[in-house]
Amino acid sequence: MQTLKINGVQHQIDVEDDMPLLWVLRDVVGLTGTKFGCGIGECGACTVHINGAAVRSCSFPAIAAVGAEITTIEGLPQNGEHPVQKAWLAEQVPQCGYCQPGQIMATSALLANNPQPSADEIEANITNLCRCGTYDRVRRGIQHASELIKEKGA
Amino acid sequence: MKNNYLKRRTFLTTSALAGAGLSIGFNFMPEAAFAAGTVTLEKSGVKLGLWVRISPDGIITLIAPSSEMGQGVNTSLSMILAEELEADWSKIKTETAPANSDFKNPDQPMQLTGGSASIKGFWEPLREVGAAAREMLKTAAAQKWDVPVSECKAQSGQIIHAEKGVLNYGELATVAGKLDVPSDPPLKAEIDFRLIGKPLPSLDFPDKVTGKAQYGIDVRLPGMLFGTVRQSPVFGGEVLSYDEAAAKKITGVKAIVPVPNGIAVVADNTWHAKKGMEALNPQFQGGVTQDLDSTKVSKILRTALDDEGKEEIKAEQVLDLEYEVPYLAHATMEPMNCTANVGKNFCEVWAPTQNQEMSMDVTEDITGLDEDQIQIHTTLLGGGFGRRIEVDYVTQAVTVSKVLQKPVQLIWMREEDMQHDFYRPASMSRFQIGLGTDGLPVQWENQLALPSILKRYIPPMGWIGFDPTSTEGASELPYDIPDFDCDYSMVDIGVPVGFWRSVGSSHNAFYTECALDESVHAANQDPFEYRRKLLEEAPRFRKVLEEVAQKAKWGRKLPEGHGLGIALHKSFGSIVGAVLEISANGSNEIKLHKAWLSIDCGKVINPDTIRAQMQGGFIFGLSAALGEEITLKDGRIEQSNFNDYSVLRMNGAPEISVSIIESGEEIGGVGEPGTPLAAPALANAIFAATGKRYRSLPLSKHGIVLA
Ligand code: FES
Ligand code: FES
Repeated sequence: MQTLKINGVQHQIDVEDDMPLLWVLRDVVGLTGTKFGCGIGECGACTVHINGAAVRSCSFPAIAAVGAEITTIEGLPQNGEHPVQKAWLAEQVPQCGYCQPGQIMATSALLANNPQPSADEIEANITNLCRCGTYDRVRRGIQHASELIKEKGA
Repeated sequence: MKNNYLKRRTFLTTSALAGAGLSIGFNFMPEAAFAAGTVTLEKSGVKLGLWVRISPDGIITLIAPSSEMGQGVNTSLSMILAEELEADWSKIKTETAPANSDFKNPDQPMQLTGGSASIKGFWEPLREVGAAAREMLKTAAAQKWDVPVSECKAQSGQIIHAEKGVLNYGELATVAGKLDVPSDPPLKAEIDFRLIGKPLPSLDFPDKVTGKAQYGIDVRLPGMLFGTVRQSPVFGGEVLSYDEAAAKKITGVKAIVPVPNGIAVVADNTWHAKKGMEALNPQFQGGVTQDLDSTKVSKILRTALDDEGKEEIKAEQVLDLEYEVPYLAHATMEPMNCTANVGKNFCEVWAPTQNQEMSMDVTEDITGLDEDQIQIHTTLLGGGFGRRIEVDYVTQAVTVSKVLQKPVQLIWMREEDMQHDFYRPASMSRFQIGLGTDGLPVQWENQLALPSILKRYIPPMGWIGFDPTSTEGASELPYDIPDFDCDYSMVDIGVPVGFWRSVGSSHNAFYTECALDESVHAANQDPFEYRRKLLEEAPRFRKVLEEVAQKAKWGRKLPEGHGLGIALHKSFGSIVGAVLEISANGSNEIKLHKAWLSIDCGKVINPDTIRAQMQGGFIFGLSAALGEEITLKDGRIEQSNFNDYSVLRMNGAPEISVSIIESGEEIGGVGEPGTPLAAPALANAIFAATGKRYRSLPLSKHGIVLA
């Protein structure tokens, strides 16, 4: 039995050494907000935070997250009050929405470290796939969130 | 009403399932069937084809007849209903309809979501449902107050009377539910619309930013098992052998179950199922594509065109062109999956599907149960793009659950999804274009060779070699060309093909709009002016073209290395124009700067949804044109995941601005019509910037890369 701390809650889980965090979250703990898209770290649909850093959970063994703070999309305010969620609604970013938990987790990690990223930094850091093609709005969403954070900080 | 083949019948019920309140729906059953008593109205609730439910707490639920796959249909359809109903927008909720022919789109052959047809098909029925419910609520209030109905007014979820005050819809719903349905409720004048035409935020986005939105893979049932499948890599092959003992040694593996065309491993979680499948290591034999590779595919297409032979062209100047595109995968972000729970006398299915009717059909076939014993629940779809019109994943999940008599969720790994798609057909197109002394085309001979999509559904189309989805977008052009012909050779290759966002237009817009651009340059004219001249008899098209050219400031002086590409195409009833600005740095590196799109889709329900669909559709097309290609070797698909099937990411995506022209003409679609424009706009822009003409896709094959 290992202890995983997910969204502030301790979970006692029996995991094998090679089981990716993604499947522990989805199939064992029952947190289905984190999505499966490729299983090989290419698409970003499974992005979560580990100690605040964006990690693609399909390619990250759950065992390596023991002792760390794991945050999933469910760990963001469930009323949508996080600046990234607010910006996403203001810019009406999603379409099918399937990639969006990953986009939002990747963006919130980026902005936590770098609240005012340049356009180049945004493109270099947010490489999540969106098959619906919401990229133009994701870009605007990130800039919008960045402004919300700036206003709050000022 | 245009549905003269079916007489529409409106009916009302307050049922146990719907609870107290008002429920109303349409039924497209022939009136005669009711009269003859062959259709009973005993079944309750949504099974009756109810479209809207108003409960005593005032919540209004639209039983949405379309699958929501990101095209925003839940919101657009709700807007139509709420408009007529004079509903309070904040009280609107949606549910996707069950499998039931009452929810069939009058514009479709069966209950499915496709062909960008939801608004077109449901515009009238939804307005009538909303108007009928509104009138009934007014009547209920009038009775309660004992005043004439004409003195009652519906507004924002309330019935208002000058002296008596207000009553909320929720308070009136149960009484209204006992009234007769007006057969011909008055519809609002369009000038009085307060929701339709406004960019309202999507109803389901709050759940999509918090992780609450439920897709197919998010279904969780007590005691549910998780499975995954492996199918023959050569299409049509069969399972030869597998190592069951090795698979059963993997922790959590519960069962190995054969499915049509492959085998499933079922375990206590998806990871164990995946590991079990690796240990099972199934081997396959045979198949219809055994000796096929991509070179052979091209050869088959070219031979078909050669067999057709060339036409004789008499003109000042003659162009002779050959174009080609590859197979493409849908690669929806949510891989194929389905959850089924089959018992002795019931079956429930949860599927992210575009096709409720075929899901029901295959479930009936496999389980031997009646329609009454089966429930098909449509979850949100993590992308559809036409892939989910197929129901192979439903067949598999129901098969496995039937064997195990337990709820099972079957998820395909991305590799299966990539290698067992119903692909956009590979195709080839030849043009012989004769230009007159003024440089404009006088003769246009186009020959197309590709496999048919429809013949799998309608075999006789294969016998006669006819498939309008192969030629759509090429067989009719808006341009005034005196001698115009488009011929189609149906070829049979064996690779499964299906509906891929914009279907025939996905290749035909590339072919025709690039071939036309080649004519422009052969005639040494301006691509915008040339098209405009050919559109004198087509004012709707001309307007769309002029609009986009104006927005892009066509004709302006461009920075060094920049080029503008223009394209115009009609699909699914909507006309779209595009201009794309790119730059090239002298080598093969290009950068996409900005795209301008204009659309005339007849009527505008939610302009922001139209914009989003135009943007997303265009990106979908750009992604394919730049780097997507499905190739074959030894009868199998070579690509396996997003590492070798190259999909566009944010760093390559241009900014896209959209202008909407509301012409008031017949309603057109918006989910697909943005896609066809991308490839020709891009290829034409590359030509403008570099002088190089690329006649096959993807461009990455020619060494083109994004800077
Ligand atoms: S599922 Fe993890 S990166 Fe795609
Ligand atoms: S919103 Fe559908 S994949 Fe991104």
